[in-house]
Amino acid sequence: MTSTPRPLTPEDVRALTLPTEPWLSCEDCFDLADRYAEALVEDPGTRALPEMLVHLHACAACAEEAESLIRLVAADAGVDPAPALARLHG
Amino acid sequence: MTIADAEGAPRPALEAARLPDGVVRPDEGRDWVADLAGSGARHEEALRELRGLLVRACRHQVWHLRGQLPGVGAVVIEELVEGAADDALVAVLARLDTFEGRSRFTTWAYKFGVLHAANEVRRRAWATREVCLPDDAVWTDRAPGPEHLAEAADLASAVASALAVALTPYQRRIAVALLLDHVPIDVLADRLGTTRGALYKTLSVARTRIRHHLTATGHLSPASGETP
Repeated sequence: MTSTPRPLTPEDVRALTLPTEPWLSCEDCFDLADRYAEALVEDPGTRALPEMLVHLHACAACAEEAESLIRLVAADAGVDPAPALARLHG
Repeated sequence: MTIADAEGAPRPALEAARLPDGVVRPDEGRDWVADLAGSGARHEEALRELRGLLVRACRHQVWHLRGQLPGVGAVVIEELVEGAADDALVAVLARLDTFEGRSRFTTWAYKFGVLHAANEVRRRAWATREVCLPDDAVWTDRAPGPEHLAEAADLASAVASALAVALTPYQRRIAVALLLDHVPIDVLADRLGTTRGALYKTLSVARTRIRHHLTATGHLSPASGETP
């Protein structure tokens, strides 16, 4: 039996078609998360670890955790996390 | 920082970690790995401070995801924080020899707290919710309206087609659960007896197949990877 048709929203389409290259696993993302958070807080325009940004755009759970890590690092450094978070969500 | 007024209260401000003597940067003046791997008073002190850092990270993450736990009061929230901090402490100590000094130790430790707290919140939020993995759903583009561009509708229709024909049933179930039904990846991994990494790999393959399908149908430019 087939279910009632479900609509695909523009956000659904975007989520289903996000690029995943350069490839990074969730485990590798976790391993690099501390370095990346510090790099992003220090320089929100950093080009370091480009695979991290691809992964964080494609993995909601890792992105949620990265956001908190950035906020914690920024608080310790006494800087505004907003620029780093803008890059994360950009 | 207090969560005494947790239910409905504004999220507590995130302050820099402070040691009892008021030092703001907890990495300064301590060899964390040596102290934690050692013994005696320095070990005990380092352990106490590490747990404090992890409680801070866990508390921050739980509050960050607080919206996923409607109706959960302050006492339960704090129990969740403390439990996640305990789990994170065990994880940090188990992986202490993998710390390479490429970041501050505190940042490295925070990520364990954040991970464990996030997992706990998501697990609790979905504890009583069923995760359905139907493979008989049919997707359509939204009915075109005045605000809806024909191109976008055409792309949505092509993606719906790719979902139906380009993916295996398993890939389709995983993609739908994670991206359309928004089941947290940790929760889905628990329910299916697999890992977050394995599910993300499946999701990536599914996305790649959808993109290849869209490229073949002319909806995605092979050169730029963007929709034309």
